[in-house]
Amino acid sequence: MESSTQSEYVTLVSCDGFEFILPRSSACVSGTIRRMLDPSSKFSEAITGRCVLENLSGVVLEKVCEYFLYNEKHKDQANVADMDVPAELCLELLMAADYLDT
Amino acid sequence: MATMRARHKIRAPRRGLASSQTDDYDAVWSVLSASLTEIHTKNASTLSFEELYRSAYRIVLMQRGQDLYTHVKEHEQGWLRGTVQKIVTDSISTTLVCAQTQNASELLDQSNERRAAGEKFLAVLKEAWEDHQLCMSMITDVMMYMDRIIALDHDKPSIYVVSMALFRDHVLNTKVRPDSDLTVMDVLNSTVLFMVQLERAGHMIERPLVRHCTQMLEGLYETVKEEESSKLYLTIFEPAFLEASTDFYKAEGRRLLEIGDAAVFCRIVTQRIEEEHERARTTLSMLTETKILALLDSELILKNIDEVVQLEGTGVRHMLDHNQMEALHRIYTLNARVDRKKEALSKSVNKRVVELGSEINAASIVSPAGVTAPPEKDAEKSKKGKEKERPANQQTVLAIQWVDSILALKRQFDNVWINAFMRDQGLQSSIMASFSDFINTNPRSSEYLSLFFDENLKKGIKGKTESEVDALLDNGITMLRYIKDKDLFETYYKKHLSRRLLMKRSASMDAERQMISKMKLEVGNQFTQRIEAMFKDMTVSEDLTASYKDHVAKSADPDHKPVDLEINVLTSTMWPMEIMSNSKEGILPATCVFPREIEALKQSFERFYLDKHSGRRLTWQASMGTADVRASFRRSNGKIQRYELNVSTYALVILILFNDVPDGESLTFEEIQSRTQIPHHDLVRNLQSLAVATKTRVLLKSPMSKDVQTTDRFCFNNDFQSQFVKVRIGVVSGGANKVENTDQRKETEKKMAEERYGTIESAIVRIMKQRKTLTHTQLVSEVLSQISSRFVPEVSMIKKRIESLIDREYLDRVSEDPPTYDYVA
Repeated sequence: MESSTQSEYVTLVSCDGFEFILPRSSACVSGTIRRMLDPSSKFSEAITGRCVLENLSGVVLEKVCEYFLYNEKHKDQANVADMDVPAELCLELLMAADYLDT
Repeated sequence: MATMRARHKIRAPRRGLASSQTDDYDAVWSVLSASLTEIHTKNASTLSFEELYRSAYRIVLMQRGQDLYTHVKEHEQGWLRGTVQKIVTDSISTTLVCAQTQNASELLDQSNERRAAGEKFLAVLKEAWEDHQLCMSMITDVMMYMDRIIALDHDKPSIYVVSMALFRDHVLNTKVRPDSDLTVMDVLNSTVLFMVQLERAGHMIERPLVRHCTQMLEGLYETVKEEESSKLYLTIFEPAFLEASTDFYKAEGRRLLEIGDAAVFCRIVTQRIEEEHERARTTLSMLTETKILALLDSELILKNIDEVVQLEGTGVRHMLDHNQMEALHRIYTLNARVDRKKEALSKSVNKRVVELGSEINAASIVSPAGVTAPPEKDAEKSKKGKEKERPANQQTVLAIQWVDSILALKRQFDNVWINAFMRDQGLQSSIMASFSDFINTNPRSSEYLSLFFDENLKKGIKGKTESEVDALLDNGITMLRYIKDKDLFETYYKKHLSRRLLMKRSASMDAERQMISKMKLEVGNQFTQRIEAMFKDMTVSEDLTASYKDHVAKSADPDHKPVDLEINVLTSTMWPMEIMSNSKEGILPATCVFPREIEALKQSFERFYLDKHSGRRLTWQASMGTADVRASFRRSNGKIQRYELNVSTYALVILILFNDVPDGESLTFEEIQSRTQIPHHDLVRNLQSLAVATKTRVLLKSPMSKDVQTTDRFCFNNDFQSQFVKVRIGVVSGGANKVENTDQRKETEKKMAEERYGTIESAIVRIMKQRKTLTHTQLVSEVLSQISSRFVPEVSMIKKRIESLIDREYLDRVSEDPPTYDYVA
């Protein structure tokens, strides 16, 4: 699995088993995930490129991933429109953001 | 899901996210702490970051973050004390411990051993540090959530910072041996210093290793606040390093001075600077660079530069004499490091300039009797005819040589200045000042320089390209810049120029004009005014001669063969008449009695000239003229040999006398003098060239001797022989410009002084007319600034002039304190 360390894509897994594959750079919008995947620390996530996030449900993680991509797409722009967030997910997303240091 | 039905209701976060696991702090911690140990033992790959992170996250959510913080800290402390400390202290061999207490000589004996031990220790320390850093960064990552909440909320330093402080306390500051006071830090310090010492002594050391250790010190701080200035590197290592370096370079400076070679000194110091620069960049830290270089500057350079510059036999003097550009450049660079003005260097350069200059000065005033001009000059001189061998001419040669030597010296120093001193402004002006100093110590500098121009304009520029001539003149002008008494130079220049013009000795009028324009640029309009007027007279005279010829051609009767006349009418105020005519007491010399033919010509011209310009007075300067005569010599065998003689006007007058003397008869000196009225001095000179000089012996003198006595008799030499048809008979020491003898010199000085009085007085009057009232000091400084471009007067001279003007009621003393003057209109 040595090659996956350098792989451009990483896999995020929710607690209920959903897998999201997204570019490493997008995933690293999150401070926590960035540290998790830091190649200099030899944690298992860094080696396999697969992060199992026991704290997050599939629904939330999907929204989180959407945000990652949205954030990366617009990172150099000003006055970007807010992302549409369903009201019922608000609190859980807040918790996730805190957890992921995003 | 139930919540799906009420879409707009905010769903509560699922608290029970981790409910499947225990909420027991101790249980979670024990898992964590085990994992931390795993991280330290490099088994992190078996761990899940997410799991550890989640554990820490949960503990913080349990409000037990504080406990976690303390526990992690304790855990780290335990690890450092238990494991790392032992590894590090074990790596310190006895050699290193002992080395602390031994003196230098013993150290050298064991240097290899100590070096090996030191390297081992440094390597172990480096590895321990790197492991600690890596592990702590991993642990900090895992504990990030805790750091974010606890450190911020409770104003505590990040766990990473704390752990770094722990490393400092429990690894670096521990005792090496239970029974000694020595800490790991001390050993580290001395080991690194030892490594530096080895490198300075020329050994190869493992730079990266040392660099890692100093980097470690740079990464550690005295306090958890991590201020820049409290880096351990700066607080502990650097002072020790600088102290050791000071000692080292003090000794090095002494050692280098003992070697006693300035060039070597400079080379080694330059090398040392380069080394320390390199060391700071690759082995220690950039932070130290400026400090160690400053230390080098003060210890090695500042303290020693004076001595080095003056080192006997190898110092700056030696370098200058042997044109050692590289060494000079080094010494310049070194001096520039410590002193913007480069005082030490410029002082010794100036000293050398003045020394060399004084030698040149001394060489130029060797008494004529003892002169031994350099051989090549001798060879050159002998070509110029025998008259050149006379002492006075030798002096002239010396004068020109003087200028040449100075120019050569100037070139040499210019070269040094460009190549070694990086065209440094300060040094340039100081070198220039030195040149000016020694040039002006030679009282005859103005005269010599003018002679130099004379020589070059007469023959020096033949066969040279325009640019060469230009460069030559520029060189001379450069020297003119140094000369303070420019008015004296002007006097001599005018005198020499008038000879060149009247005797048509100038090689190129273009060069003359070029010279004038250069002088104008250098010293201003006023300076060249009179010289330019001389040129104007010359052109006007040419026209005049031409129109007179026309006039003669029209009016003269065809039978009578007219004598060709070429005349120069000169404005007496512009030309240095008194100098040309050699008059002693300033009286106009009585003109000689011209023979009939010449007298007629003279009167004819006077009529012609006064017709055109009435009211002018013409004074004939026979001493300045020349004439072409066709002379017939009746050989004893009856043949007649003709020669064309080019002689001075006086000689012509003398020769015409002999037209009326029958063959075999002679005239005495006194007879000649009474009949011609030629001034005694000129007569002697002309007779000398006619009767004594071997190649031009048109007259025979009895008794034969080298000197012309008033009792001598002269007769016409019908056996005169020459290989040429045209013979030039120069007047002995008449035609050539040469160094003045003492009398002439006194004369010139006297005239000069009078002229200066006038210049100063007119300056004073000019200033006072404008300013009406001035204090004494102001007036003196104004006068000085006005006339300093011509010469530098003494203040006492100005004072005397002021008094004289007061006596003559131009000025009025209006106040005594401070002394003030009024202009009297």
